[in-house]
Amino acid sequence: MLHEDVVCPFCACLCDDLKVETDNGTIVKVDNACDLGNHKFLTDDDHRLKEPIRRTPSGWTSATLQHAIDRTVEILLGADRPLLYGWSGTHGEAQSIGVHMAEVLGGVIDSTTSVCHGPSILAIQEVGHPGCTLGQVKNRADLVVYWGANPIEAHPRHMSRYTTYTDGFFLDRAFKERKVIVVDIRRTQTAEVADEFILIKKGGDYAVLSALRAIVRGKSDMIPATVAGVTKEQLLRIAEMCKKAKFGAFFFGMGITQTQGKYKNIRNAIELVDELNRHTKFTLTPMRGHYNVYGFNEVCTWMTGYPYAVDFCRGMAFYNPGETSAVDILARKECDACLVVASDPAAHFPKDAVRHLGEIPTVQIDPYPNTTTAFCELQIPVAVTGIDAQGTSYRMDGVPIRVKSILNRGYPTDTDILGEIYRRIKEAKRV
Amino acid sequence: MIFTLNTGRTIQQGNNVEMKYHPDYAKEVSRCHMNPLDMLDLGVMDGERVRVTGPAGSVVMYVVQDETVSHSTVFVPYGIYANQVISTETHGTGMPDFKTTEANLEPTEDSVLTVPELLRALGGMPYVA
Amino acid sequence: MSELLIRHACVVDPVNRISGEIMDLAVRDGRIVESVSDRAEVIDAQGFLTMAGGIDSHTHICGTKVNFGRYMSPEDMRAGRTLKKGQMHSTSGYSVPTTYGNSYRYATMGYTAVLEGAMAPLEARHTHEEFMATPLQDTMANVLFDGNWPVMEAVRDRDVKRVAAIVAWVLTAVKGFAIKITNPGGTEAWGWGKNVTCIRDPVPYFEVTPAEIIETLIRANEILRLPHSVHLHCNNLGTPGNYSCTIGSMDVAPDLNKERQSLYVTHVQFHSYGGTSWKDINSKAHVVADAVNRKPHIVIDMGQMMFGKTTTMTADGPMEFNLYKLHHNKWSNHDVELETGSGIIPVYYSRKSIVNSVMWAIGLELALLIKNPEQCLLATDNPNGSPFVKYPEIIALLMSNPYRQAEIATLPPETESRISLPAIDRELDWNEIAMMTRAGQGRALGLRKLGRGHLGLGAIADIAIYPLSIGAIDPSKEYTRVIEALRLTRYTIKNGKVIARDGEILSNRNKTTIWVRPKIPEQHRMDHDPDFIRNFERYYTVRMSNYPVQEAYVPESTCIETEAVW
Repeated sequence: MLHEDVVCPFCACLCDDLKVETDNGTIVKVDNACDLGNHKFLTDDDHRLKEPIRRTPSGWTSATLQHAIDRTVEILLGADRPLLYGWSGTHGEAQSIGVHMAEVLGGVIDSTTSVCHGPSILAIQEVGHPGCTLGQVKNRADLVVYWGANPIEAHPRHMSRYTTYTDGFFLDRAFKERKVIVVDIRRTQTAEVADEFILIKKGGDYAVLSALRAIVRGKSDMIPATVAGVTKEQLLRIAEMCKKAKFGAFFFGMGITQTQGKYKNIRNAIELVDELNRHTKFTLTPMRGHYNVYGFNEVCTWMTGYPYAVDFCRGMAFYNPGETSAVDILARKECDACLVVASDPAAHFPKDAVRHLGEIPTVQIDPYPNTTTAFCELQIPVAVTGIDAQGTSYRMDGVPIRVKSILNRGYPTDTDILGEIYRRIKEAKRV
Repeated sequence: MIFTLNTGRTIQQGNNVEMKYHPDYAKEVSRCHMNPLDMLDLGVMDGERVRVTGPAGSVVMYVVQDETVSHSTVFVPYGIYANQVISTETHGTGMPDFKTTEANLEPTEDSVLTVPELLRALGGMPYVA
Repeated sequence: MSELLIRHACVVDPVNRISGEIMDLAVRDGRIVESVSDRAEVIDAQGFLTMAGGIDSHTHICGTKVNFGRYMSPEDMRAGRTLKKGQMHSTSGYSVPTTYGNSYRYATMGYTAVLEGAMAPLEARHTHEEFMATPLQDTMANVLFDGNWPVMEAVRDRDVKRVAAIVAWVLTAVKGFAIKITNPGGTEAWGWGKNVTCIRDPVPYFEVTPAEIIETLIRANEILRLPHSVHLHCNNLGTPGNYSCTIGSMDVAPDLNKERQSLYVTHVQFHSYGGTSWKDINSKAHVVADAVNRKPHIVIDMGQMMFGKTTTMTADGPMEFNLYKLHHNKWSNHDVELETGSGIIPVYYSRKSIVNSVMWAIGLELALLIKNPEQCLLATDNPNGSPFVKYPEIIALLMSNPYRQAEIATLPPETESRISLPAIDRELDWNEIAMMTRAGQGRALGLRKLGRGHLGLGAIADIAIYPLSIGAIDPSKEYTRVIEALRLTRYTIKNGKVIARDGEILSNRNKTTIWVRPKIPEQHRMDHDPDFIRNFERYYTVRMSNYPVQEAYVPESTCIETEAVW
């Protein structure tokens, strides 16, 4: 059976033009997807955890779903300060149950945001965010800047669907008419296709952004011959390209959210874009990673007022990243139980944060065994959103798209499992 | 020799993201990409091993020669190997120093641990179907 | 069957010409009926003020930009927190509360239906997700058409039927309620960092004028026989001297509908400025009010500004950038491909500012100078003029000249020569307040015949009972009691069920989302139109099949089907 206009649940490009062929409950062919998308659809079945598993002193053993849910409820109700972490790899409806659950439990809820674009959000909370949907870029932009981002590896169709290679309404021959600037501390694959590549010395992003702001404001006299390894000549040329563009689109990645200065870098980038808007049209978009990491921020915001790292221990939402974010809470050994949903912190957190996961009762709800499994007491496999579960997802630019279910592999969805756990918790708490 | 450890996404790391026990995953995220001149200074060849020691501890990785990496930095696809040396310090932002950790590199004959070995060292019990 | 009897209600229901009569209201299965059996649940209203549930016909509570207002403003979230309690979720936010915050605060003020003022069609799913998390009000969404490419192309071709067909397709696809035009043409120009100054400027590339967009959409609206009229946010918001643009925009509107207005002009306070710069800004509310008095086919809302801190948010992207350049606070912008834009900045309206003082006076002047209260509805463009929690103060200001004079005395003395408010002694009565807060909205939104905005037989039993004996007080003198009573109902009843009592929320969920599905001749439908489909697939970044909002997003839904006059 051929499924058209399938939405890819890998990265936050959320491409919705895939053609997927299924035959007798397996996926046999995928068209239009990138390497990452292809891989996700075609190898999915090989890696699924088949049934709930439970850790015993002698090793892993299977568990009934009933036992797994009972024990999860028991762990969460018994905890003083549970951490509910992950959420970027599932649909919004499940995320919403997670937030409700954190509220009833008086726990902390955080998503992978805190270790990807959390600093971008902190910067936006200081100075705002001049952005747009990706179609604005596709149809109008004659200049695209990728700063600390490597879309060819992390978002492989970004350039062909939304920026460099796609024709738009006001650009008939986009590839010729659009200029691309890439800024990085290493010559990435994306740098190879740039019209201008700016190689910055490590940690030099803030200085280079400041220099560009100064030039755009007409203060080029004060710029020294080189800034963080970038020549003044190149900086002047770049600033001129930006000012002369009819529509400039600035995309940034973890190359500046994770480097020194963190959110202050992003603040500087946003203020550069503000400044450029006094000369022409310029927008800025974070290259969000997981296909629904932005969805968690949206859901969490309309429910609690804050995009991530929300602590309910006071009976209301409290937000202070650095204190209420997952790595910090684990590093301080503050949480006494953890529920991990749709992410793999053991692979992506510093090891001392990971170690604490193994010292407290941890439960994971995830379709696949992963490194976090090793630190869990229990894992409950669920359907994969976009393959055998449907729901809402938010693209990196905030456009909400309903991700589809194209076959049935007999797994419950995140919404089913979390809904049942939440129901049981409410019952126990007499809510 | 002290280097700045830079981590980031790669296509292979992405492809293996749902199969972390597969040797392909370990192979991808245990690669320490180095500039050839830095390799010369350190006295290592492509495919040899280095011990990378940072604020949180140390781990052995394979050296991969990579002209795109700048002098005095190394690039490691982000994952469990790099996280053996990165500290939990977030400077009040929630974000560890995934791209700016100072690490000491030295050539080593020690072997590169497997993912299950790393997990066990942290008290985990790997799951193998 | 569920029955409710409200005894000793002091009913103010101008639609049914009931003005402060003490009477009983009988409710069966969510509707007002003649009488109920003796098994009915009984509520004693103690002679308190009882009106139909409040309706807000222009507010920003759900959707992309509202949520971005929260996302970028943890300081605002901290400024309005309430604890989890009983059935109530915890809430955050002062000017942009969380969905539960909005819903609880509206409910305890007696509001049972709200119209989200601006929904970008491409992001409609988001608005509906937040509607689902707004549990205690019926919700509707204005759909933005100000910069819609296919619409502008059809306007350029003078093809009003094609415009109607596009609107029909989009409204149905996104489950929207009405046509909204925000700074027509200006949001498209903003795609290039430009704007239009008023209704005669051509839109870059598309070569149509805002006036043509407005007029064609009004005609298309009536072809489709939509319940509400076109809902217009004029060009040139917030600029000294803009009143002439506002009046020019009203002049464009033909009178096409006998039952309601043909054009709803929103937050007119922001569009009634005289002067040539911020230095000599003055009120032209009297000129705008005269125009409205002469045009019964126009309805406006006040867009009242109240002093204090709030967040401004609108689809009018270029205006927000100009405001940012004045305030130097933080600025967010979000342009939406082929459709519209939006911007957000936080502001502080100070009574020490002459400009802000003039703005404050203008909203009140409009309401006091427009003769028919059904033509000037009470709204603040929440949260742009102020958060909706200030409605009780606005009502008190309209009912009390002494209160207004006391407030005027606190403003900079230079304000007085720029406004006419000090000389206006009109004081509105409870009938007029009911008109401005529910009855007029029912009419303007085309929902009166569906039983909204009044308490006649067959009406939907959305009822607000405020702890105030109106016969016993003089609102002119005792305005503080008016404010206090309107802040918190004794009972808010929705579909015949008590949802709030004395500020406590008693219901998890009681709502519907109202949307329209206009039917047009099959051969004109856009889903069969090769040009429309080709351009959609070529220029949008989502596939046409993934664009429509699925049924899953309107689990509680009231669809109004209309038959187009083709």
